[in-house]
Amino acid sequence: MAETVGVISTYQTDYRSQHPDVTFVEQAQQAAVGALHAGNMRPDDVDAVVFSLAPTNFMGVADADRWAIDYIFGAGKPMFRVHTGGATGGSAVHAAYSLVRAGTFRIVMVIGAERIAETPDAQAVLNTIFDLFYERDMPLSTNTSVALQASAYMQRHGITQEDLAQAVVRQRWNALRHPQAHLKGEITVGDVMASPMISYPLKLYDICPRSSGSAAMIVGNVEALDSFQSRPAFLNGIGSVTGTYWVGDRLSPTADIDYAEMSLTDFSGAACFRRADIKDPVKEIQVVELYDPYSLVGYVQLERLGFCPRGKAARLDSEGFWDLDGGQVAVNPSGGTLCSNPIAITGLARCIDAANQVMGTAGGIQVHGVRNALATAVGGISQFHNVTIFGEDHVPDREEV
Amino acid sequence: MSRATNPTDVIRSEVTLRYDYSVGEVAGTFLDGLRSKKILASKCSMSGLAYLPPRAYCERTFEKCDSWVEAGLEGTIEASTIVVRGFEGKRQPPVPIAFVRLDGVDSAIANYIDDVDCSDLEAAMQAIAPGRRVRVEFVGEPEGRITDFSFVLVD
Amino acid sequence: MTKVYVVGVATHEPSSAIRGSRLEEMVYRTARAALDDAGVSRRQIDNVTIAACDEFDGRPISSMLLSGPAGAYLVDEIKVTDDGAMGLCLGLSRIQSGDFDLGLVASWSKTSKTDVESIMNNRAEPFFTRPLGMNMSIANGLFAQAVAEEFGVTEDEATTRVVDAYERASANSRGMNHSVPTTDEVRSSPFEATPLREGHNAPITDGAVCLVLASEQWLHRHPGHEALARVAGVGWATDSYRLDRERLRSMSSARAAWDRALADAGVSGSDLGAVEIDTPTSYHEAAYARTFDIDGAALSPAGSTFAQHPLFCSGLVNAAEAILQAAGRAGPVQKAATRWTAAHSCHGFAQQGNVAMVFEGSHNG
Repeated sequence: MAETVGVISTYQTDYRSQHPDVTFVEQAQQAAVGALHAGNMRPDDVDAVVFSLAPTNFMGVADADRWAIDYIFGAGKPMFRVHTGGATGGSAVHAAYSLVRAGTFRIVMVIGAERIAETPDAQAVLNTIFDLFYERDMPLSTNTSVALQASAYMQRHGITQEDLAQAVVRQRWNALRHPQAHLKGEITVGDVMASPMISYPLKLYDICPRSSGSAAMIVGNVEALDSFQSRPAFLNGIGSVTGTYWVGDRLSPTADIDYAEMSLTDFSGAACFRRADIKDPVKEIQVVELYDPYSLVGYVQLERLGFCPRGKAARLDSEGFWDLDGGQVAVNPSGGTLCSNPIAITGLARCIDAANQVMGTAGGIQVHGVRNALATAVGGISQFHNVTIFGEDHVPDREEV
Repeated sequence: MSRATNPTDVIRSEVTLRYDYSVGEVAGTFLDGLRSKKILASKCSMSGLAYLPPRAYCERTFEKCDSWVEAGLEGTIEASTIVVRGFEGKRQPPVPIAFVRLDGVDSAIANYIDDVDCSDLEAAMQAIAPGRRVRVEFVGEPEGRITDFSFVLVD
Repeated sequence: MTKVYVVGVATHEPSSAIRGSRLEEMVYRTARAALDDAGVSRRQIDNVTIAACDEFDGRPISSMLLSGPAGAYLVDEIKVTDDGAMGLCLGLSRIQSGDFDLGLVASWSKTSKTDVESIMNNRAEPFFTRPLGMNMSIANGLFAQAVAEEFGVTEDEATTRVVDAYERASANSRGMNHSVPTTDEVRSSPFEATPLREGHNAPITDGAVCLVLASEQWLHRHPGHEALARVAGVGWATDSYRLDRERLRSMSSARAAWDRALADAGVSGSDLGAVEIDTPTSYHEAAYARTFDIDGAALSPAGSTFAQHPLFCSGLVNAAEAILQAAGRAGPVQKAATRWTAAHSCHGFAQQGNVAMVFEGSHNG
């Protein structure tokens, strides 16, 4: 019988461009200490560590998890590092979930840190994820590849740049009540439209910041929850899928996966909903913390996950459907990835923000009556997609026929 | 007398990593094709799909791609953008790039679109919108690199 | 807990430098061979666990280009970065969790394309060790000194172990078939970082390895598929990053990994008929032979790193060899009485991290 898995505690530092007064390992330590304190735990209570760390070119030390082990009270413990690009944090949570569910360990800490400003060459680094022979000579980067997606999607559904700008406005406003958020403020659609063009149609304000910070989540089985957390968030469902690397394969009539619409999300979403026994997302899920480094990307995922029909998410935003206060489903109360993107741990932050809502520890951005919250993470050029659902009640395993 | 070191001081380290990537079974044929001003796509007979950029195996059938087809030198824009803020070493911005599905091929390949007036971004984006037709133009002296060709709009 | 079986295994033909194939092509061939060995199609796989290193592969987020060749198209896939054997550890838990039934574990190493020591230096933190040129040789030299002192390992022993390892490896048809050096050749090879000599190092090669894992339920539903071996237990642990004397000689993560794997399998070291130990240098072999109390006939019969040493995935190759032993398919290096076999992997400076795996097969000699 598989173990039940719940979140015991979480911690996030403030996300900013830089934390120039600490090193990477000191930063990671802050998250370890924070999560242990939040769970009233001691280092010895943690059986194993899953380290969330994507490309290390930003912070400049390869395999930096090994350097960090002493600082996170992990020396001597079982530890491995997960790396699936931007999706890393979500994959790390899934890996920890499997370790506990299998009965391999009782309590696992998922932890990571990011320091994007350690190098000035972030875009140059991101260019090198493209294929050397066929694509690196192009100015392809995460910005331009999403711009390509946006141009196709907008044309197909008659969406304008102003429509997309609403996500930025709503989420920066939400972030005013989230102390850890990097970007926050009261802005207008006009402000977004006036920001510098980066790669048409994406402007500076349509794009996430480069954030630094650290985060940790401690998960455990029922015995651990009994000891440490009387109001856990149960990890009820996981779903993850890897698609093709080739953007061009997703832009043709023979495509399995539609690039413009990120239909890869269908696979991870369906698997997660099946495991978490979710049938009607709008009715059953009160909070969604989406991985949205670009204004378009949140809307597309909402549509694919079945929260609204295709092409409609932006329209619903103008009706307040996704608002933190008074919306049908609160989308990115934390500000989402548009407001904070510490790449190595962004997926972990999404999970933490979702779990906190269920546990009632979301502070100024707490939504009332959260029964279930969903988190997503995306990696590569929309190649890796994972979904995680946290619930206030444990969903019992269904018998497979 | 020197001052004490601040927590916010830095130690700089520059890292150079060298890589020799094997051309492998497939890229060589493609790059040689460019030298002959041809664009060669790899094809999987089981799925019937022809791929650009070419690859050694078909992801869907997990079989080796077992033949080559010459792509048509005209195609359809599937997605496009104008890069306004670029970075070093590439063409000067603003510069349009697009994924184009060449005739006879099932996936799209990226390259620059030349001769587009980018002084009015909106108009330029209309001109290169998905669905528009382009044709391939080769440079005078191809070197066996992806930049041996680019796209131009078919009027 | 669900029992998990190995139903397919494949290793790539090793080479000191694989030219003529891109890494993607190497990985595809190996994944395809493992699936064929298992008699399953890629479509039946419901999860893939990749173990790979961006810096060795030559691109940040290397799984972007390599997940496809590793069979992960439209599959639930996660990548770990520690070493090949860690892929097996996570892949195992995923099936034991009950959420997955048939998984592929894939790992590879093509370090001929780059300069390993530059990458190793980049793994050193920039404040205290990188400026001194810390790299694999230096860390191994420090380790060799520590184990020489702790265990009384002499130069003679380090030399003899090298020659013996090459001898064992020379019978392994899946290996490089290196020529066996003389003790003089080893002893007179230049120092790299004292007391470590060049001749004590296992030569680094290119390679790849894939396993197919199945739950007992999957096997039950698919009669006609035979398991090579059951994954009876695994353990892993990572020591402090420091390289002080205490840490270098303690072997504590090795012992923790080993003890956990054996405990989960319910066996003791003397039950093991073959143990492939990850030995980047012969000082490693000296240390592990004592720590695990494995020597004589059971010690790396396939030659371990002296047969092939694809740096990142040597440990998973060891697992493949141990699985073949348990299944009675090891060929010329087959040992008798291999109902229980084991494999080991190490990673990080001076074996900071260790992984141990125990297999149960049907081959009893």
